[in-house]
Amino acid sequence: MSWADAARRFDAVVIGAGTAGMTAAIALAQAGARVCVLAFGLGSTHLAAGTIDVLGAIDGEDPVRSPQRSLARLASARPDHPYALMGASTVAEALAWFARTFAGAAPRGYGYVGDAGRNMMLPTALGTLRPSALVPTTMAAGDAAGLDRVAIAGTPALRDFHPGLCAANLRDAGIRARAVQIQLDLDRADASALGVARRLEEPAWRAAFCRRLGAVLGAEDRVGLPAMIGLHQAAQVLADMEQRLQRRVFEIPTLPPSVPGMRLFEALRRALRAAGGTLVLGAEVSGAERSGGRVLSVAARSAGRQTRYRAPWFVLASGGLGAGAIELDSRGRARERVLGLGLRGVAPASAPRFVEDFFAEQPLARVGVAVDERLCAQDAPNVVVAGAALPGQAPWLEGCGEGVALASGLWAARLVSAELGGRCQATQRSSPGSMPGDAAKPGIDATRRPSPGSMPGDTATESGDRCQRMER
Amino acid sequence: MGALETDLLVIGGGATGAGVAWDAALRGLRVVLVDRHDLAEGTSGRFHGLLHSGARYVVQDPAAARDCIAENRILRRVAAGCIEDTGGLFVTTPWDDPQYAELFAAGCARNGVDCEEIDVARALRSEPRLNPRISRAFVVPDASIDVWKTVRAMARGARERGARVLAHHELVAIERAGDRVLGAVVRDGRGDELRIHARITVNAAGAWAGRVALLAGIEGVRVLPGRGIMIATNHRLVNTVVNRCKPPADGDILVPIRTVSVIGSTDRLTDDPDDQTVHPDEVKLLLDEGERLVPGFRRARLLRVWTGVRPLFDGDRAQEEGGRRDGESRDITRAHALLDHGLRDGVAGFVTITGGKLTTLRLMAQQAVDAACRQLGEQRPCHTDTEPLPGSRSGRHLALGDRLARKEAAREEQLICECELVPRSWLELAIRQAASSDLDDVRRQLRLGMGPCQGGFCIYRAAGILHEVGELAAAETNASLRAFLQERWKGVWPVLHGDQLRQARLDEWIFHGLLAVGRLPAGEART
Repeated sequence: MSWADAARRFDAVVIGAGTAGMTAAIALAQAGARVCVLAFGLGSTHLAAGTIDVLGAIDGEDPVRSPQRSLARLASARPDHPYALMGASTVAEALAWFARTFAGAAPRGYGYVGDAGRNMMLPTALGTLRPSALVPTTMAAGDAAGLDRVAIAGTPALRDFHPGLCAANLRDAGIRARAVQIQLDLDRADASALGVARRLEEPAWRAAFCRRLGAVLGAEDRVGLPAMIGLHQAAQVLADMEQRLQRRVFEIPTLPPSVPGMRLFEALRRALRAAGGTLVLGAEVSGAERSGGRVLSVAARSAGRQTRYRAPWFVLASGGLGAGAIELDSRGRARERVLGLGLRGVAPASAPRFVEDFFAEQPLARVGVAVDERLCAQDAPNVVVAGAALPGQAPWLEGCGEGVALASGLWAARLVSAELGGRCQATQRSSPGSMPGDAAKPGIDATRRPSPGSMPGDTATESGDRCQRMER
Repeated sequence: MGALETDLLVIGGGATGAGVAWDAALRGLRVVLVDRHDLAEGTSGRFHGLLHSGARYVVQDPAAARDCIAENRILRRVAAGCIEDTGGLFVTTPWDDPQYAELFAAGCARNGVDCEEIDVARALRSEPRLNPRISRAFVVPDASIDVWKTVRAMARGARERGARVLAHHELVAIERAGDRVLGAVVRDGRGDELRIHARITVNAAGAWAGRVALLAGIEGVRVLPGRGIMIATNHRLVNTVVNRCKPPADGDILVPIRTVSVIGSTDRLTDDPDDQTVHPDEVKLLLDEGERLVPGFRRARLLRVWTGVRPLFDGDRAQEEGGRRDGESRDITRAHALLDHGLRDGVAGFVTITGGKLTTLRLMAQQAVDAACRQLGEQRPCHTDTEPLPGSRSGRHLALGDRLARKEAAREEQLICECELVPRSWLELAIRQAASSDLDDVRRQLRLGMGPCQGGFCIYRAAGILHEVGELAAAETNASLRAFLQERWKGVWPVLHGDQLRQARLDEWIFHGLLAVGRLPAGEART
């Protein structure tokens, strides 16, 4: 028996369990594909703010007021940007898909609000304002557009949030912010936001917390707290606190690990499970079997042994430099570690990899796997690339990380679904030629799927036009 | 303008200047020490941490070797708490001339440097990462020394005896009346000036000593800045100081200091003592040499690189040999120079002490204060060879596990810097005592932000505490935060690769992505 026969077989294997990989996997599973996610570790959800940032800054507009409107300008200024390749309508559809999918999987009452039409400006723990398009229910009241008199509350027990500095910088932005500190009954001095989030789910502890907090509040109509308002029951905790304090309450993201990010990941995991997908965490892809450029299978080490995963399609959502999926060695050579794919965005060997200004965009910022216009790897036509592994973006300077992850994850799922067509295992159980549950499964709309084979927009130069042509 | 009256004014708060202040204060002199920046921010703090046994110099520079071993023995007593007794190894690698080992052993014997040859197998057992192809190994009494702790201990000891230590006071002018120096005018960070009248002024400005002498109208104090880079790894690759057994050259020392190991150094003459350039070819050289000492060095996590500028006293020879300025500086003596300007230039009340090495700082200070006492016509014997520094009275050496032991004993304390185990109470105390609002000064004092994450997690926390406890305005806190991020990045980016790049991306993610530091008020517009 050859190793290929021993492999686990799927319709698609997704590498990476960040927002992009989970999106691709959920959408594929919703469309009826047998899908497996292999992830070495958790993705950026646990590090990030838990918001869906679509577009926060472009040349000449910082902060961006409406991502929807500014996407076209970005596309013409940066034709290699993932958004330019996917088109603005894909972004809008991805956000809608996300809001629906999340609502179906998250605990009752906890969801995302907002849309790509307008960025909210949310306070950071430093007291700066950060643009986000979609934000969790627990952060919505922090939008600067509605902030007038606000109390920023913290506790000395939490080293990752400093209300004094936050409030002072908010005042500089014209918000009447005041810092308050309360003491907490905790059994350790170095409490984390996660620890407090768990305690706040205990009604008695929460009541005591609110009594202390209420006692130091003044005329403020809103209260900003570090992002720790419950982990599994955030909506109930928020509602109860707002009722007790008689004020709107909102969360401000703190240093990692991110409580809102954990809520996001948990909901995505539930959605994947509900759709019938498989998630293998702690599985490092250690090799691939290739034939004529195509990837036939990958080997992953997990639980002390190596397993082969065979599929006609792979989605590489392994992240970029930060995830270690793209690596730079001591001689300045960059390499894609998972499948050994070619890269784009690496300057010639003689050029510096970084510049001395910490606040400037680094020359290596936009490195990613070289892809064609369908976002398939140039070196491997059955590998679709999604998320931070895509070249051409600078996620946190442009404030576009989650938007790119969602849009490219959904893009990859549509492409793979369309390509699988009748070969999809699940499809074999239903009528050939059409995707099962097309009507029932939101988001995977047969009329809006990237077409198989060559890209119809190959010759198109207008990026805004590309999506239109693709949709036909 | 305020005014101060003192016996001795010391210009320069590096190891030498702090040593002079400590020595003079112990002799009962009134002392004022000034530095334009923080203590040990210049050459002293940009150093690999090696307390020489003298073995490095036994063949080429026996006088320097004898000074080193004598001072090594004294500092182990009086600065015990600043020194980790790592011991040192000299190893012959396949790239080193095997003949040198014989010269080396003979030189150690001749100059009184304790040296014992051990089996290569034993050397490899004690340092398993060393290149297994070494052919000989010698044990010598090298050690590592925490220079910030040493300088602060000397400054504290001087202060306890009445000295004024004025960091962040920049020299504006040296006051001179005829052939006598009367003191200096300095300016603090707010722009306020202070006139310091001194009976004797000591120029301990190291690589900047020539410039200071010029302010006193004295020419020809030729101090050539010898620029060298050093690179720190994220943990210790060795626990013993490891030297190549060969004539001193670039990248031939690996020093375990505190939580890291440091490979050093390169050596290039420069025109400007403030030159902090890091050339890619120098980085390459250190990595290649590191690979010879410890195979796999190129795959180690490199935290950062920095540049130190050695003060190389060139006497008056530089005037004759101008052409040598482009070359290597290893052929210029590492010995120190004491210039009594009363004898040398007919300018009384002014003494320059420069050149030398950190290991000989105490001797340099002693000679400078001896010269000052001669000029004052006072008999005041030196006590620095017997009087322990504050924090060193127990005679106990530093140990790597000290901070961990402390942390384990005080579990109720909040850690602000997890890499370097800095508790909140240390940070609050440092902020309350600080002469400036500079987070970088706090770093030198506590090692805050010096570990693998290079401030990624602790600097937001420290800024918040600086704002609250230090009652600092938000604008100043923001400026300090931004400056600290830029200062950390300065050392990170020229050697950034491998896993440290992942860390750097996480730090960028925190500051740009989560905290939107680029959107701070008064911040420069992003491009």
